[in-house]
Amino acid sequence: MNGPDVVWYLCVAAFLFCTGALGVLIRRSPLIVLLSLEIMLNGSNLALIAFARHHGREDGQIFALAVMAVAASEVVVGLGLIVAMARRRLDLDVDKLRTLRG
Amino acid sequence: MILAAASAGNVLVWIVWVLAAFACLGSGIAVISFSNPFYSALSLIGNLASLAVLYLLLSAEFVAAAQVLVYAGAVMVMFLFVIAYLGGRADAPWAGGPSWQALGAVAASAALLVEIIVVIALKTSGRLSHSAKVDYFYGRPYEIGRLFLTDHLLAFEITSIVLLIAAVGGVILGSHSRETQ
Amino acid sequence: MIAAAWICLFAPLGAAIAITLLGQRLTRRGAGYLATTSVGMSFVAALVSFAGLLGDSPSQRYHPSTLWRWLTAGPYDFGMRITVDPLSAFMMLVVAGVGFLIVWYSIGYMDGDDEERRYFAYMALFVFSMLLLVQSGNLLLLLAGWGLVGLSSYLLIGFWHERPSAIAAAKKAFVMNAVGDATMALALFLLIQRTRSLDFEKVFPQAPAFGGWAANLIALGLLGGAVAKSAQLPLQTWLPDAMEGPTPVSALIHAATMVTAGVYLIVRTHTLFEAAPRVEELAAGLGAATLLLAGLIALVQTDIKRVIAYSTMSQIGYMFLGVGLGAYANGMFHLMTHAFFKALLFMAAGIVIHALAGEQDMRRMGGLRQFLPRTYWAFMVGALALAGVPPFAGFFSKDSILAAALAHGWYGQLLWVVGMVGTFLTGLYTFRMLFMAFWGEPSAFVREHFHALNRDVVGVSLAVPVGVLTVLAALGGWLQFADVWTPVSNWLEPVAPALVEASGLQEAASSAIAVVLGIAGIGVAWWIYGARRAEAPRSLPLLEHKFYFDELYDALFYRPAVFLANALLKWVERPLVFGSVRELAGAIRELGLETRSIQTGLVRTYALAIAASVAVATLVFVVVR
Repeated sequence: MNGPDVVWYLCVAAFLFCTGALGVLIRRSPLIVLLSLEIMLNGSNLALIAFARHHGREDGQIFALAVMAVAASEVVVGLGLIVAMARRRLDLDVDKLRTLRG
Repeated sequence: MILAAASAGNVLVWIVWVLAAFACLGSGIAVISFSNPFYSALSLIGNLASLAVLYLLLSAEFVAAAQVLVYAGAVMVMFLFVIAYLGGRADAPWAGGPSWQALGAVAASAALLVEIIVVIALKTSGRLSHSAKVDYFYGRPYEIGRLFLTDHLLAFEITSIVLLIAAVGGVILGSHSRETQ
Repeated sequence: MIAAAWICLFAPLGAAIAITLLGQRLTRRGAGYLATTSVGMSFVAALVSFAGLLGDSPSQRYHPSTLWRWLTAGPYDFGMRITVDPLSAFMMLVVAGVGFLIVWYSIGYMDGDDEERRYFAYMALFVFSMLLLVQSGNLLLLLAGWGLVGLSSYLLIGFWHERPSAIAAAKKAFVMNAVGDATMALALFLLIQRTRSLDFEKVFPQAPAFGGWAANLIALGLLGGAVAKSAQLPLQTWLPDAMEGPTPVSALIHAATMVTAGVYLIVRTHTLFEAAPRVEELAAGLGAATLLLAGLIALVQTDIKRVIAYSTMSQIGYMFLGVGLGAYANGMFHLMTHAFFKALLFMAAGIVIHALAGEQDMRRMGGLRQFLPRTYWAFMVGALALAGVPPFAGFFSKDSILAAALAHGWYGQLLWVVGMVGTFLTGLYTFRMLFMAFWGEPSAFVREHFHALNRDVVGVSLAVPVGVLTVLAALGGWLQFADVWTPVSNWLEPVAPALVEASGLQEAASSAIAVVLGIAGIGVAWWIYGARRAEAPRSLPLLEHKFYFDELYDALFYRPAVFLANALLKWVERPLVFGSVRELAGAIRELGLETRSIQTGLVRTYALAIAASVAVATLVFVVVR
């Protein structure tokens, strides 16, 4: 294969995934959390595509497309939730939402 | 390794790869760093674009196109709508001293990253070095479509159901009637 | 014959179960008829077995039969085993015969009671238990029957369960019997250890081979059970209280059958007792002491049933005296005649009580001779039989025991003297009872409350059994007369050969003196109570308090037990048991509260937890692989 080996692509994917995870864990605004979640999903998509290329079969790409579709649906629902929260004048801060406290 | 694989076409691929990879990583960090959500969203769009380039380098043309059209084109537009609607309030992520939560988060993610890279580099023991040879027809829409409708039909159908559910959920969440009660 | 024996055993049980299951679908009178018929069937079956045995030659009169082997393990083999032999046939006839008459009598006596069905079910259960006891072919089943009669006695004494005195009496009877059951069980354990079996034909031949202390312990244990069941010293206090039960119950259980089970036990296991002669003599001594004690106490009783109860205690003392000295057949003969006249006395007393609407205090009675003439004559026959006046039944049986005592040596002669004193007392208290109740002018109470019996089913059922028993009490003694005519002794010879035989002279002398003393007692009673020529002497508090046995047992056993229970509650149960449970519950609650703090409700905390766990898990996985 021309260019870098699959391994390099996998490293990029790993980095993306961990960056997204960091964002989910650190940020308090639900919007930014959703965005970080998107980064994580994209990181795993990259890994899938890389492995598909490594094996020479398109099954990984199928999986990546399915992930994309599901990510889209998830964003729909997540954004709907955020809009509903905003409508109820709730603070858009995940730390303030703790009614499930034991 | 870089010198050994140097040839004209190769060098170009390498350059493109380096540029795209760093754009990817940079925009990723940017997304989680900005306090303004609008900037975060724009950074994510940049991330998606660079990912599309990487997909092209991996001969996944259809997926790259889908990425740009669907992800960057539709999903991110939705995001921007909502950010505009909400007025861009956000929090300052690095404000205040580092709490134990933040430190823990950084530690966990760093550990995860290191572990994954260690696994990739050391544990695979050379199995990932020689990729398969692919021909011109790899990654064509024809192949994707065929696989979707034969080998992975179930995934295809389930995904459509999930989309349906999300649409219904979106409508319900967005309806006004609940609020006026 | 064997089949008849099994029918004899199970017929009353079938009736008891049927009455229980049919419940309200059976009329009350119907329950009575069912119970009576079943016991009647038992009697007929007992007659068939008896006839069957008659056909055998004397040495072959032994037929065991096992219905079902219960426990077989190695050398041990216990089963549901009955035996048809002279002794068991004798007892079967007595139990089934007298039981039949009494259950028939109960139809009239218990008529109108709300819980008649329960009564007849219990009575049928009792007859079954007693038959099980006397028919059993091994000691295990005998113990089972022993316990079951104790249970039936408890149920029947406490039959009128709304009365606290009845419940207390039932508990007392059961607890004292339980003491006897325990000693018997211990004796059986020793026997099993020695002989690996409880079947009669295996255990008895080995008896002489036991060591001295083992034989004594076994005999003592069995004696303990006998003493408890037969209300002898020192476990005699439950019998007077047991008069709280209905009169037919007193007649059947506490006169004719259950209390005689102790005597039967000693006769059946006589080889074991003969291996421990001191214990056998102890049995005779206890019998004599009880005989005297009960006779004295009966002199001051005012309740008509209590007098008869103490008289039962006293007469069983005679039986123990007899079998303790080795006169087994004489003891059994007295058992039979005693069943007749004691049941008769109880039943006649029951008619009196019924006629006076439940009054049992003799001081309020008087002059009943005019109102209940036939009952009076029945009572008279029973009293004469009890006092040992010839030609009535008690004369033959009691005197044969006393004569055998004379023949036993210095110890027997000592007991003979005691027995003679007892004869005087018997005449005295029996006729005191009769004169107080039946002679003299009718008291105001009697005039007010008397109501005659009708000539209907109730009346018939009350009258006919009493009549039959009157005849038996009058003539039953003619079954054996001294040395001259001894079918009873001959019958029981293969099973329980007598150790002593009185000579003709001893028989005659003993009888003569006994009759004289008995009539003297009657005379004194007539002088004081009949003709009212003299005042009754003031009674001693010692006698009135029944020699303070109740108080003694209360102080010795009851108070310490209550004290111990309270102390355990305070010092052990509350702090340790309740406290530990409370501590445990508290600790778990604390743990729950601690664990609660993990639930912060923050999404980020949970996500961090997940991420950290993934990192750790991956690390472990990588390192291990």
